[in-house]
Amino acid sequence: MTDYLRKPIKEIHELLKKKEIQPIDLVKECFERIEKNAELNAFITLNKEQAIEEAIALEQKEVDNLFFGIPIAIKDNIVTKDLRTTCASKMLENFVPIYDAEVVKNLKEKHMIIIGKTNMDEFAMGSTSRTSYFGAPINPWNRKKIAGGSSGGSASAVASRMIPLALGSDTGGSIRQPSSYTGIVGMKPTYGRVSRYGLVAFASSLDQIGPMTRNVEENAGLLNIIASYDEKDLTSAKKEPEDFTRLIGKSIQGMKIAVPNYFMSDIVSREIQEKIEEMIERLKNNGASISYIDIKHLEQAVTLYQIIGMGEASSNLARFDGIRYGYSEKNCTSVEELYKKSRAVGFGEEVKRRIMVGSYLLSGKNAKIYYDKALKIRKEMQKSFQEALAHYDFIIGPTTTTTAYNLDEEMNDVSKNFMDDVLVIPVNMAGLPALSLPVGFSKEHLPIGLHIIGNAFEEAKIYQLASFLEKELNLDLEGGASHE
Amino acid sequence: MNDYQTTVGIEIHCELKTNAKMFSPAKNGYTKEANTNINEIDFAYPGVLPTINEEAVRLALKAAILLNCKINQTMYFDRKNYFYPDLPKGYQITQARTPIGVDGFLEIKLNEGTKKVRIHDIHIEEDTAKSIHHNNKTLLDFNRCGVPLIEIVTEADMHTSEEAKAYVRTLKELFFYEDISDCKIEEGSMRCDVNVSVSKTNALGTRTETKNVGSISSVGEVVEREAIRQIKKIESGNRIEEETRRYDEAKKETVLMRKKETGNDYRYFPDGDFPPLVLTEELIKEVTSSITLLPEERRKILENAGISEVNIEKIIANKTLCDYLLSLNTNLKIASNLLLGEIASYLNTHNKKLEETKLTKERLEYIVKKLETKEITNQVFKDILISLFESEKEIEEILKEAKKDTIDDDETLRSMIIKIIEDNEQSVEDYKNGKDRAVKFLMGQIMKSSKGKASPTLANALLIEELEHKK
Repeated sequence: MTDYLRKPIKEIHELLKKKEIQPIDLVKECFERIEKNAELNAFITLNKEQAIEEAIALEQKEVDNLFFGIPIAIKDNIVTKDLRTTCASKMLENFVPIYDAEVVKNLKEKHMIIIGKTNMDEFAMGSTSRTSYFGAPINPWNRKKIAGGSSGGSASAVASRMIPLALGSDTGGSIRQPSSYTGIVGMKPTYGRVSRYGLVAFASSLDQIGPMTRNVEENAGLLNIIASYDEKDLTSAKKEPEDFTRLIGKSIQGMKIAVPNYFMSDIVSREIQEKIEEMIERLKNNGASISYIDIKHLEQAVTLYQIIGMGEASSNLARFDGIRYGYSEKNCTSVEELYKKSRAVGFGEEVKRRIMVGSYLLSGKNAKIYYDKALKIRKEMQKSFQEALAHYDFIIGPTTTTTAYNLDEEMNDVSKNFMDDVLVIPVNMAGLPALSLPVGFSKEHLPIGLHIIGNAFEEAKIYQLASFLEKELNLDLEGGASHE
Repeated sequence: MNDYQTTVGIEIHCELKTNAKMFSPAKNGYTKEANTNINEIDFAYPGVLPTINEEAVRLALKAAILLNCKINQTMYFDRKNYFYPDLPKGYQITQARTPIGVDGFLEIKLNEGTKKVRIHDIHIEEDTAKSIHHNNKTLLDFNRCGVPLIEIVTEADMHTSEEAKAYVRTLKELFFYEDISDCKIEEGSMRCDVNVSVSKTNALGTRTETKNVGSISSVGEVVEREAIRQIKKIESGNRIEEETRRYDEAKKETVLMRKKETGNDYRYFPDGDFPPLVLTEELIKEVTSSITLLPEERRKILENAGISEVNIEKIIANKTLCDYLLSLNTNLKIASNLLLGEIASYLNTHNKKLEETKLTKERLEYIVKKLETKEITNQVFKDILISLFESEKEIEEILKEAKKDTIDDDETLRSMIIKIIEDNEQSVEDYKNGKDRAVKFLMGQIMKSSKGKASPTLANALLIEELEHKK
């Protein structure tokens, strides 16, 4: 097997430019790696024939940008024209979209090659990827462990170096938490930075697509490609194009960093706290100042997420009714029966649970008691974040409370699963950008992530801080990959 | 029965006359072929998102301004959740919290004066797909799915069928004249739901809602029939229940569709796919200034021109005609008579539009002027009618030719008049007694006997002269 894909994209780019290699070499190597790691169950659908065809066609084209001919994997809740998109659900097991999501269009414009669709929690509902209809993806660092979720397939694929880049989506930590569990760099951009057109909606006011990569610079580079104003998405932000890599390598001298006390409280394992404290010391030693602060309602984040997220989800998933697309129960004698049976069989347990809870929360008086109140608290939390970020450049802490846990760990303790995301959810509530950076390992040699939250639309600054630490630490993050 | 008061509130859905749909760029327009005016958004494909049709927002804003509403300058959209095959998303996008307009009114004309019907609110929403039942199966046509709608909800302010009909008629006329909607009740681009209750006291009775009433006259019938039905039911010791009914036009009675279930729960909540939409002062000003002459203002102008009420209503009923008439710089009464009479019948027989003929505005204005000054008779006008529509010749030329055989020499005309006076002694007596209509009658006789060729100005002068001799 060739070994091009372990090189930094900048180097691959040079080889392509000099015609020392062709995109087809990358694509072939990529599929070989995927085959070898098949047991990680990172992919739901591979785009082999089409990818090879595209790679060959690219030989006639000029290598016009850094990501030209680079293979990429897409989370399976982002629609891809003519390529099956399942949302890891029986409901969409045979669903082949008729259009490309806006982000996919952006990738194709840069002649990136879509290798396949990655595994995930069903409709992105979960934090372990174990709710997938196609079985859970596995953590390459320890095959007994979860890869996290809901973008667990993308995380597993990048961490095992099957592929250098992947897209994920993040509604309540679904990019950052699996990135942290698998030792990769995952960014949830500012709400509105990346078009949601073509992302199968889970919770519209929280969902955001983002890059999952091996390192910081490539993460920023991929964001350069997927961030764009899209008039098809009313929540898309009209921003001048910018280069997200532009601050990488700049000094962090004088930067003001805040750490919410809650982020370093007892909810976080001792081991992770220590690792984050170590990072705080490092930052101090390099001229940054650290202050401990309080952000309002952080401890309510999971409750807010359940009310707002499930409320929105119950409505967003109403379109899967067995009539126009998706799973449709045969031989029904009434529309009612068609609805009930198609949804009962097509959706998995967790999805159904969330739809039911969401519907309940929006029903009658409950809307006022729960939903309106949640929106109010969300606003206050948002304001508290804004006030903090008016004084500080960043808010940091751990991405997760523990490292990746066992695949066979009890799944029925629903609130425990939600608590996994207690540190990442507030960022979605506030619509802010945040990144998870691998900063070390536990005693079990499982990755630990640092969570860097920035001000709205200041992703470039997050990359500046992240790349500084990345360089300082110089970790070997290939441990998850199996090599010849 | 007379001690019951009937109370009526009306909800009207109007399809807006836009090029595109409310939340997608698909075409908004009637087409025979099912499922051709659709795209992935109308079909609620996974991953799609809505956009806002500005043209529709402008029309809705115009409607709100016309209905004297307070405008919600920061608007949100909400989801109304329910399952139905014609609703592909499983929710309808509507405005539950911030309707574009609230607290307005519409003034209606009644026999005994005018009345203000208060408007509770007017909000923007989207239409559903059309279900077509065929051979035991239901087919879905998504062409209508996502068409922009406004819903106008009145307060329970009306009490008679007359008022209900006047409200619908006035609203329809207003929206049609301002190009907000086609307002075709029969085709469903305007749909009326009529809420009726009866009560002996000041407290309102339980109401029923009769959906999709098919014409203005049916709206009146529903109010009457439903009131009678409810009173009978109460008088026989039963209670009225909240229910949805429909109107059977053939049987002239309302029919139960379904009882209103308690706890019919639409789980309204804010739609996260929309940031707040702000209607600027500038936009409101711009839309306000785009409002043209309202139907009532047009009626006033026509009334002042001396046009009969019957003709005014005929003119108002035809917007193209009304616009044309009001664009003329001439005697509107004479012009309207020509337009409703000879011109209309020519156009009908020849199946043509006015602009397809040679009868230009200038020609028409010229002819009306000549008729007004009595320089030509109606007969002359009738004689040259075909030429007016079809001849390339100059109008003066056409007139000259027509007037060739006008009787305008003193002698001939006078002898004709003397003979007529002799034959109509009673009219002479009437004249002596100061009755004006005698002159009119005798002029008619002159025209008749001259086959309309007598110069009216001259004939009139000579007739008066001769009659004065008789005094």
